[in-house]
Amino acid sequence: MMGPTLSMVRKEFLQLRRDRALLFIVLIVPLVQLLVLAYAINNDLHDLRVSVLDEDRSPLSRRLVEAVYATDIFVPGPIPGNSTELEGQLLEGRSDLALRIPPGFSRELLEGAGPDLALIVDGSNSSMAGRGAAYAQAILRGEFARLAEEEMLAAGPGATRLLTVPRFFFNPVLESRIYMVPGIMVMLVTIIAALITGMAVVREKELGTLEQIMVTPLGSLQFVAGKTLPFAIISLIDLSIATLFAMAWFHVPFLGSPGVLLLGVLGYLGVTLGLGLLASAVSNTQQQAMFTVWFYLIFAVLLSGFFFPVENMPEWAQVLTWANPMRFFMNIVRGVLLKGAGLVDLARDLWVLAGMALLTLSAAVASFRKTSA
Amino acid sequence: MNRVLAIARKELAHILRDRRSLAVAILMPLAMVMLYGAAIDMELRGLSVGLLDQDRSVASRDFGRALSSSGFVKVVERLEDREQVEPGFRQSRFLAAVVIPRGFAEDMASGPEARLQVLVDASDAATAATADNYLKAVVALVASREAELSSAAPFELRTRVWFNPQLRSPDFVVPGLVALILMMICALLTSIAIAREKESGTLEQILTTPVTPLQVILGKVIPYVALGALDAALILLAGRLVFGVPMAGSWWVLAAYCLLFIFIALAVGLLISSRAGSLRVAMIAAIIVTMLPTMILSGFVFPLSSMPWVLRLLCRIMPPTHFLVIIRGIMLKGRLWFPIETTVLVAAGLLLMTAAVRSFRQDLE
Repeated sequence: MMGPTLSMVRKEFLQLRRDRALLFIVLIVPLVQLLVLAYAINNDLHDLRVSVLDEDRSPLSRRLVEAVYATDIFVPGPIPGNSTELEGQLLEGRSDLALRIPPGFSRELLEGAGPDLALIVDGSNSSMAGRGAAYAQAILRGEFARLAEEEMLAAGPGATRLLTVPRFFFNPVLESRIYMVPGIMVMLVTIIAALITGMAVVREKELGTLEQIMVTPLGSLQFVAGKTLPFAIISLIDLSIATLFAMAWFHVPFLGSPGVLLLGVLGYLGVTLGLGLLASAVSNTQQQAMFTVWFYLIFAVLLSGFFFPVENMPEWAQVLTWANPMRFFMNIVRGVLLKGAGLVDLARDLWVLAGMALLTLSAAVASFRKTSA
Repeated sequence: MNRVLAIARKELAHILRDRRSLAVAILMPLAMVMLYGAAIDMELRGLSVGLLDQDRSVASRDFGRALSSSGFVKVVERLEDREQVEPGFRQSRFLAAVVIPRGFAEDMASGPEARLQVLVDASDAATAATADNYLKAVVALVASREAELSSAAPFELRTRVWFNPQLRSPDFVVPGLVALILMMICALLTSIAIAREKESGTLEQILTTPVTPLQVILGKVIPYVALGALDAALILLAGRLVFGVPMAGSWWVLAAYCLLFIFIALAVGLLISSRAGSLRVAMIAAIIVTMLPTMILSGFVFPLSSMPWVLRLLCRIMPPTHFLVIIRGIMLKGRLWFPIETTVLVAAGLLLMTAAVRSFRQDLE
């Protein structure tokens, strides 16, 4: 039983060692991608350009403007001379937000006349519009509250103030990179495992060597094992290197137990490799296999909570995520690394992955029995 | 010209014969519009919250009720004590917990201020920061409603969002998908088509005929240009009919820029196929070169302004970044003239195409 499987594994590694370009793709490219993506995929806001049209030119208006620029979220944009120029800057994308302080603002404010302050956001830029506006509002309101406390202005209504005291668990400095890096690792290992496995088998089909293997006494279980093991090993190596790299370079914590993570990894690799094999079983050319895997990848990544929290999705999309192994694995990796989640916390995710792995791998074995018959 | 058309017809026959690849090439863009248009939502809605009421007074109960009926947060769980908060975070049952401490009712009635504690699962930092701001706002809202204060702010902060007032996600996503699909179909499929002929040795057979290399290239890319243009049209149509994505500018200008972008994508595809040794390497290289810059290094989803300067520079020389500015500008802002972006795109297109043709010639000799 083991002998033939092992010789197939050896054959796969021999082929891989000879294919320098592929070796480069499975071992070096993921690390480069991790490095680039970790810096690129960043939900923190920085350096948004704010154009200010200060028609009031009073100490008060200057203070509001300085408060906006005091954070590292906003930087000064081009200065408009009038409101037409301000509109032009937003239109041409030379600034992201604009603040217009009308003439007589501070006088009316001190008189309690309730003057208007206009904050305009370029809504065509999805990545920052909503949150950028919210931050700017919070800063302006906060600065006003401070002014009121300094009694530069008449005090507000003397009611009880309700304060919230926030405490952030697991990531007190609120750095989004720590959250994104484990997600990128999951994505990369999925691409390697599903795509390369899927294409490897079809390649043998295309070259005609699959039929040669099928006429040997090798059973379909042994064949599937021999085809998946090398890629499972490569994926494990990739994942270990990526984890160490993430810890050393990005200071991603590892709070939970490596054993729990390994359980999750094995389950997930089972599912992913099984899916890769299934894709190759239903494909006749490498192009078809790649397309099939790719189709799966695009939706799996979207519905995994990697870019957008699952909670934000509409009901029907949340239901769809239950069929997505990546969603559960994402939860496991983030849970173990960032929150120190243990077996009990992740029981549901681990069971689901185990069930999916059993299902896809047995389906893969069954599908190769058919082709060999 | 006849020879070019003959090769184009042959390539078309290849495309039509591989039904599944064709189905993917046509259905995937549509499925992506539907799913991405509906499911991508950067804003936090319906934050799931655990509520711990340590005060157990009339005031705290009222506050809890007001919180859950505010419509902005979902109180998914009532907690008994503080120990339950962390396991809840670890199991991802809720993202934040609101603690109403003992003495809350007294403070509300007499003191100058009352305190609430908000505990946030910050492993997702962006969501955590939003959740914190969000809860602050909801608490302030609830508090002002409770006290029926006329919390008249001394100035009116009017926030206006231009070009997409409701921040509807399909309006962002559809233009980005056009860029992604054009890049995928035109660059990826072309590189595969040529690499496959190279691998199976049929390219050499074609070249022994009187057809020149340039005619081969032209003939091979024409069907993919058509397919790419068809996909772009399908996406725009679906975006308009299903999600009501606006068109503030001109369709003609958009079509012209799409053609320019297709030209660039084709050059990228040719360059990859002439450099790659095998079909497998060509495919994987094409995915990496097309998907990554278009999805992540273009400002499609993640803000360029938040990246370190090295990456920002990299994004600036990537054609998708500029194409995205143009297509969003046309569709959402009604802009028609893009001097900087057009210059970059034209320069990139010429550069890439020259490199591609040269490398293709070398490859064949």
